[in-house]
Amino acid sequence: MTRTSAPGVRVKDLTVVYKTPAGELPALGGVSLSLAPGTITGIVGESGSGKSTLALSLLNAVQPPGRIKEGVVEIDGLGDVVKLTGEELRRARGRQVGYVFQAAQNSLNPLKTVGKQLLDLGRSHDFDDLPALLKDARALLGRMGLDGGRVLDSYQHELSGGMRQRVGIMFALVLNAHLVVLDEPTTALDMITQAAILKIVRDVHHERGLTTLIITHDMGVAAEVTDSLAVMYGGRVVEHGPTTEVLGSPRHPYTKGLIRAIPRLSGDIDEARALPGRPPTLGTIPKQGCVFRERCPLRIAVCDTVDPEPITRDARTVACHAVGRLATPVVPKEYV
Amino acid sequence: MITASGITKTYKQRGNLLGARAVPALRGVDFAIERGGAVTFIGESGCGKTTLGRIVAGLETYDGGDIVIDGTPMSSLKPRHREPFFRRIQLIHQDPYSALNPTRTIHQTLAAPLALRAKQTGRDKAWMEERARELLALVGIDPGYVLPRYPHQLSGGMRQRVVIARALTVDPEVLVADESVSMIDVSLRLGVLALLKDLRERLNVSVLFITHDIATARYIGGDGELYVIYRGQVVESGPTESVISGPIHPYTQSLLSAIPVLHGVERPGPERVVPTEALNEAHPDTGCLFARRCPFRTDRCEAAAPALVSDGDQRHACYHPQRRDVIPVEAVA
Amino acid sequence: MTVTSPVAPAPISLRRNFWRGVGRVLRRKPSRMVGVAIVVLFVFMGVFGPLLYPNPLPRDDNALYASPSWAHPFGTDFEGTDVLALVVTGTRYVLLAGLATAVITVALGTLIGLLAGFHRGRWDTVLMRLTDLQLTIPGLPLLLVLSTVWKFTSPIEMGVVLGLLGWGGIARAVRSQSLSLRERGFIEAAKGLGLPTRHIVVRELLPSMAPYIAMNMLIAVTGAIYAQVGLFFLGVLPFDANNWGVMLNLSVFGGGALSSTAALPYLLAPLLAILLLTLGIVLVVDAMDEIFNPRLREE
Ligand SMILES: Nc1ncnc2c1ncn2[C@@H]1O[C@H](COP(=O)(O)OP(=O)(O)OP(=O)(O)O)[C@@H](O)[C@H]1O
Ligand SMILES: Nc1ncnc2c1ncn2[C@@H]1O[C@H](COP(=O)(O)OP(=O)(O)OP(=O)(O)O)[C@@H](O)[C@H]1O
Ligand code: SF4
Ligand code: SF4
Ligand SMILES: [Mg+2]
Ligand SMILES: [Mg+2]
Repeated sequence: MTRTSAPGVRVKDLTVVYKTPAGELPALGGVSLSLAPGTITGIVGESGSGKSTLALSLLNAVQPPGRIKEGVVEIDGLGDVVKLTGEELRRARGRQVGYVFQAAQNSLNPLKTVGKQLLDLGRSHDFDDLPALLKDARALLGRMGLDGGRVLDSYQHELSGGMRQRVGIMFALVLNAHLVVLDEPTTALDMITQAAILKIVRDVHHERGLTTLIITHDMGVAAEVTDSLAVMYGGRVVEHGPTTEVLGSPRHPYTKGLIRAIPRLSGDIDEARALPGRPPTLGTIPKQGCVFRERCPLRIAVCDTVDPEPITRDARTVACHAVGRLATPVVPKEYV
Repeated sequence: MITASGITKTYKQRGNLLGARAVPALRGVDFAIERGGAVTFIGESGCGKTTLGRIVAGLETYDGGDIVIDGTPMSSLKPRHREPFFRRIQLIHQDPYSALNPTRTIHQTLAAPLALRAKQTGRDKAWMEERARELLALVGIDPGYVLPRYPHQLSGGMRQRVVIARALTVDPEVLVADESVSMIDVSLRLGVLALLKDLRERLNVSVLFITHDIATARYIGGDGELYVIYRGQVVESGPTESVISGPIHPYTQSLLSAIPVLHGVERPGPERVVPTEALNEAHPDTGCLFARRCPFRTDRCEAAAPALVSDGDQRHACYHPQRRDVIPVEAVA
Repeated sequence: MTVTSPVAPAPISLRRNFWRGVGRVLRRKPSRMVGVAIVVLFVFMGVFGPLLYPNPLPRDDNALYASPSWAHPFGTDFEGTDVLALVVTGTRYVLLAGLATAVITVALGTLIGLLAGFHRGRWDTVLMRLTDLQLTIPGLPLLLVLSTVWKFTSPIEMGVVLGLLGWGGIARAVRSQSLSLRERGFIEAAKGLGLPTRHIVVRELLPSMAPYIAMNMLIAVTGAIYAQVGLFFLGVLPFDANNWGVMLNLSVFGGGALSSTAALPYLLAPLLAILLLTLGIVLVVDAMDEIFNPRLREE
């Protein structure tokens, strides 16, 4: 039942909670998001906004103390993964959904060579042709500028951070999954290595016809590779649309603030402005009303009580009262 | 005023069967930093930036060359006597999580160096309390909120501000900021950068800024000098804005080309340079260190090492210097 | 560009805060409270036990090896003395010896570990040789030999000897901890700020290692209790009626507790006391990590 074409993904009203001493708190508060088949979608947002939680939900892999409370995650060819259990779920992971975990550079087994881990993976997915698997892996690593043979014979500690990151990407791709999720694939790498990895991701995506989801806190990374961009804040997707449009004419006040906070290489550097306040944590996400209101320059009365619904217009989704109300896009306002 | 000349540093790594391996981290680095000035070092991972920062802050020894602080060469002093000099240079760690002791409240963390200061200057406890509050206010956080708390109760941005406040307790003249914002949330980063910039202006503190995110260098040290360092060697330097807008060395060009383009807001520079290979410590040490990865290399490059030469207000070490247009520019809407 | 933050609660005294946190940590799991109760009980017995009973303990020649009754919950021994009273009055020796062991192991182990780990270099080599030496000393045989010349009448002497034989583990643990901690940003920062070494070691390093030290200490105490009881059990040390080890010895070799039931309570009582005390300590150890880690304490 392996697909040969890129699947679409539809997440609907997904709520994921973590159990804490203060009770079950939502890390995702009713998120809806679609990944169009064959596209690269980026999710940006600050630490704690729920990016990794959303990514894990795509595999129904949220670990306790977290659990998916409600919602649907539909993947073409798999159905609703929230309903999958046991063996079905295990087989889907890796075979249909390739995953590079956050901090992939630390997620290799230190006691086994990369090649041995690859064989283990192949066996657990009932691959008959293990030599072919090794050959594929070598080819993938070669594409990423590594000496495949040497890397497969190496232990984790013999590889640099950037090399391990690429090994993680190889693992996500080698089983020929057509949905690939990359959680912070370039964090902690320097610019040149980052650029090289992003190029590989983009090339492989096109060659193999994948649906790719990239999670990052770096707007630049998202801008560089993605077709469509979702911005998360406090467990919500606050804005989603084609990347160039979201960056070129952001609508949600948070997106605008984030873009303005990026120091750039050209233009007047003093135009960069810090966002006031600080991001919420699980315990401080407001229970009602807009999650961004404490930091929002456009806040109006209704923001205190009503959580803004995501509204989609001309392929762009925004969840903000101030945007939903106006017929025309909001005029950017100065931050103080 | 601090001048470093010809700093070299080689780490001896305990090797495998083949015996100890020498890792040259710095191969002769010169720079100078003025009171209230800004100097930025950029470069790839592993090129020696942190090593340099730690040497300047007196936390690491160096093998060759010398650091001259206000006219006193450090090599002329016994290690014990260097301390007062190096105390004027404070390092702001990259990781605000490990830079603060998790078992001590912010109050305790600030009190220790302040007590030392008070003893040296003959001041009392009340002064310490007041100074702690003053410093926290200076770095833009509410002393009443922060003082009784433990580091884990603060956000990354607040922690980094506390680290800066702690460095300020000894009235330093130089802050060495090694990737000081890379581990903080994106929306909070600019705030900390703005603080460093502000400290430069208000306290006349110099900042030695170490980063691989070049755009942030513009923000703090736009009026200062930029040094591009590669495998322990300065390959290009000059006024920050000049180097960024008109990079001469192919390595600088590669670094600048690698910066992601904000498609939709910017368009990529037309002459982006991509290195032909990844950084590899095993590349030969003879000739131009960048030769193996340089798309423009010629036979000459591999034969002998190019020296750092002046070109206008920039300096570079390349046999085939040529300015290239690599940085993204604002797309016209 | 100021970070807005909620208004501060009036700064509370730190010490009170710490103990309040300790209370919170202990209350988090009922097992910990049980552990504390057990330990407190034994401490109480150790301090006041001997005051509760007349000295010497009364004998009842008519009730040798009496079975449990209201008057003698654990029966009596070969001389008709109440077993419970023996256990209670014997607590002091065991605890004092344990405490002495703890003080010695912690003081020596921490000091040597810190010196070796913080200064490294030659200090490290010398001190670690010493530690290795200590660790290779076969404890029990040495004690057997020692006991032929030394009678250990005072629990402190016993504890000191056990302590001198047991600091190696802590020294190693502390050394490896300080080796890893000294690379941490906050230790470097303290050095960079010119803070004195004493401050760095005592104020910055030690608190971070407190949970390890405390845990090792409690483990050392348990070990010491076993060791001394064992010595007395083996009969290598002089007879002292109300010592747990001696009780075990007499019940087994004198009363035949393993073959007949009459001396069984006499055997079980000290055994139970040892087990209970160990259990109490183990339950309390479980809380150490949370007590010394502000993040876990201040939940
Ligand atoms: N195991 C857990 N137990 C309790 N809370 C958790 C757990 N894992 C995550 N959370 C909380 O859920 C929220 C979302 O976490 P998540 O890891 O999805 O964020 P993220 O956007 O990926 O952040 P980062 O950029 O730091 O990776 C955070 O507030 C986090 O503290
Ligand atoms: N303590 C050490 N022992 C041995 N080698 C070291 C040590 N510290 C650094 N090195 C080596 O020295 C070189 C320079 O390291 P340094 O940390 O200064 O680089 P960097 O430019 O700060 O890199 P990054 O951007 O990753 O922080 C690297 O090759 C590194 O492996
Ligand atoms: S809903 Fe209100 S508070 Fe939230 S982002 Fe929009 S204007 Fe701001
Ligand atoms: S000297 Fe030659 S190899 Fe080195 S950077 Fe210049 S062109 Fe490239
Ligand atoms: Mg994450
Ligand atoms: Mg570094």
